[in-house]
Amino acid sequence: MAVEQILPPRRRQKRWAAFASAPGSFRIGLALLAVHLVLAAAGPWIAPFPQQQMMAGRPVAGPDLLHWFGTDQLGRDVFSRTLHGGWIVISLAVSGTLLGVALGSMIGLACGYVRGWVDELVMRIVEAVLSIPFLILALLAVSMAGPEYAGSPVLVALVVALIYTPRIARMARAAALEIVTRDYITAARLRGEPAFSVVRREMLPNATGVLLVEFAVRAGYAPVIIGTLGFLGFGLRPPSPEWGLMIAENRNLLTIQPWAVFGPGLMLSSLVIGLNFFTEGLARVLGRSPVRAN
Amino acid sequence: MATEACIEVRDLSIEYRTPAGWQRAVDRVSLEVRRGEVLGLVGESGSGKSTLAYQLLGYRPPNARCAGGSVLFGGVDVAALPVEALQKLRGNRISFVPQNPTTALNPAMTVADQIAEVLREHRKLDAEAIQVRIGELIGQVGLSEVPDVGGRYPHRLSGGQQQRIAIAMALACEPELIVLDEPTTGLDVTVQQQIVELLKTLRTTHGVSMVYVTHDLPLLSQIADRLAVLYRGALVEIGAAEQVFSRPRHDYTKALIAAVPLFRAAPERPVRRAPSETGLLSVSAVRIAYGGRRGLFGIGRAAGTEVVHGVDFSIGRDETVALIGESGSGKSTIARAICGLAPPGAGAIRYLDKVLAPRLEARPSSQRREIQYIFQNPDASLNPRMRVGEILSRPRDVFFGERSASVAARVDKALDDVRLPAEYAERFPHELSGGERQRVAIARALIAEPSLLLCDEVLSALDVSVQARVLELLRDLRARTGVSMLFISHDLGVVRSLADRVVVLFNGDLVEAGDTEEVFQRPRHPYTQRLLAAALVAHAPAAPVTEPHPMQTSA
Repeated sequence: MAVEQILPPRRRQKRWAAFASAPGSFRIGLALLAVHLVLAAAGPWIAPFPQQQMMAGRPVAGPDLLHWFGTDQLGRDVFSRTLHGGWIVISLAVSGTLLGVALGSMIGLACGYVRGWVDELVMRIVEAVLSIPFLILALLAVSMAGPEYAGSPVLVALVVALIYTPRIARMARAAALEIVTRDYITAARLRGEPAFSVVRREMLPNATGVLLVEFAVRAGYAPVIIGTLGFLGFGLRPPSPEWGLMIAENRNLLTIQPWAVFGPGLMLSSLVIGLNFFTEGLARVLGRSPVRAN
Repeated sequence: MATEACIEVRDLSIEYRTPAGWQRAVDRVSLEVRRGEVLGLVGESGSGKSTLAYQLLGYRPPNARCAGGSVLFGGVDVAALPVEALQKLRGNRISFVPQNPTTALNPAMTVADQIAEVLREHRKLDAEAIQVRIGELIGQVGLSEVPDVGGRYPHRLSGGQQQRIAIAMALACEPELIVLDEPTTGLDVTVQQQIVELLKTLRTTHGVSMVYVTHDLPLLSQIADRLAVLYRGALVEIGAAEQVFSRPRHDYTKALIAAVPLFRAAPERPVRRAPSETGLLSVSAVRIAYGGRRGLFGIGRAAGTEVVHGVDFSIGRDETVALIGESGSGKSTIARAICGLAPPGAGAIRYLDKVLAPRLEARPSSQRREIQYIFQNPDASLNPRMRVGEILSRPRDVFFGERSASVAARVDKALDDVRLPAEYAERFPHELSGGERQRVAIARALIAEPSLLLCDEVLSALDVSVQARVLELLRDLRARTGVSMLFISHDLGVVRSLADRVVVLFNGDLVEAGDTEEVFQRPRHPYTQRLLAAALVAHAPAAPVTEPHPMQTSA
């Protein structure tokens, strides 16, 4: 008789089954996110007015059929500006977070692998940076960059990366400490593979689950950081239709024309909620959360 | 022996929820445990034996469901009882001895407190009566000579002593049935023997029924009255132990029995060059310590714990040397020192008459290539995110600078060498069975074209029927390639059938070394004699004098 071994099902099948059994909030998040992505991509084309066109309507007018969110002090159409702002917020959030994950995971995994005094030193620096409240760190970075970079989108993305890098480095190091105990890492050492090769080939693929969730969670909060910077005047400069900046510009209209603030505010909060629902569900699907699906 | 049933399993099916739907782990099993008998439950990992054993206690993991059938204990269906009723039953009338006492005993409570907890819960005894009973129990499990054993915390007891305490807890309320889940798997062979002796005594003195779950057939032949063989959740055979061993009816049982490494001499090797004529590797006066460290800026030094105290031996070309000894005897440490993972504190390791640098980083690439290490557990030694082809091509890249096209042919050949189809290069490790994974790990060592293989317990993580196939592969590879091996194992049956010479370690000291047959037939050192005696007892009744027939397993 043939004694066969039962093999586990292929990974893909398992993943699909896990997606099918994901919690309801995951689907809501996915739907919200999809709407936001479509609006961000198509926004500049479907917007009824150019985002900078002044006197598109009577200034400080409430919503009507032509101006869904009304107009601001300069008579610009708030709805059109909000649509134009979507891709700015999303692309800055994603690129900043991506950079943070890339830097943080390299630092964390490398420290977890080499250990010793290098690890001690780097991790103490990381902790020192972590002890600075993130807003103060951001303001410090913006003011140190000097006036010539003020308002540059690259600077905003770099600030997001700067805030996230130490946080992600700690997570990645924790994941690395578990991975380095595995024999395949020892096997790579026995081959004499250089540290960079071990980190990239052997460790990084095994940390992707952790890093993916980390990316999604951080990206979910990045719009808030960008909005805060814009609101405080340290982010993008007018006339950019970035949402935080729009809220700041229109906040003195709050009592007369609240939709000039609610419009971008609604978009910002629904994006953050959508991203958070999505990442929470993703974490469960990937089995990184203590609360399993079902 | 009374033939009345103590517990009866009728048509029991248990299913687990997996992402791919409900999967059946136990498939319509019916069996009974009679009063005062020991029923051995055997099967490979994943055969459902533990699931079935847990169900006898009414325990199902949260992701499992009972898909039919019943477990009758004293006329009550345990499978359908509410939790409160089960709590009255468990530890009281049915008790459990876990596989690993280190994790099962509470490290924050003294041993006496843990036993007292069971008694308080079920027997409602007063403090004085509890102390008396604990004294009795400690005597029954043979721990009365250990000073103040009850006042100790579990970490101050050895593995064997901890398991005795777990047995004492199981006995505390004089249960009718004890379920033992691999109770000796984590223990050394000599300690394992003591526990089995204890269980035998308890059975005769207490007349308690036992269900003994294990994959170790020779062990069961000593203690079990009847054997039940599970294969993929189905009961394929049940009967008196002697009958199952001598006349197995089902093909799977036959395969299982044939796969047990027999305790007898290996057939003469076809090509046997003179041993140690040209030495390959020699280890002289090597001492290895763990945990030593230098102070800040290299000032001051803390000595670690020395685990190997001056060991000498050598390995010749085309020779297989086995290192045997209990866990903690320093076998693996020596292998780690040879490959550079554990730098020795003193002594020298010479390879081809050149002294090997103690640290891996200081060795030239050629030495790292020629000495290859194969790990115990292929689940941990293969990167789960790499395809087999990629895993096998890494050594070619690192040692030979070969990439792309030429490597593909090498990988195919390496897979063929370990008898795996070339398509496996596209698979991930989790898409292979345990035996196939270990073959890939062996192929990864071979593709570097080594002259010495360090095999560290390479069989012990595998199921017994798979072990035989991998062992066969190693023999075959040795014959074809002439590679030397340092074979580390605690399984003396395997060692005898593979090794040319044997080195016996005891607590970090070399106590005996010599030709395999010489050592096995005329052991000189008392420790070797004890080790062999324990192994012989464990194997003797199980050895049917038949040729192990080649199985059609896809190991």
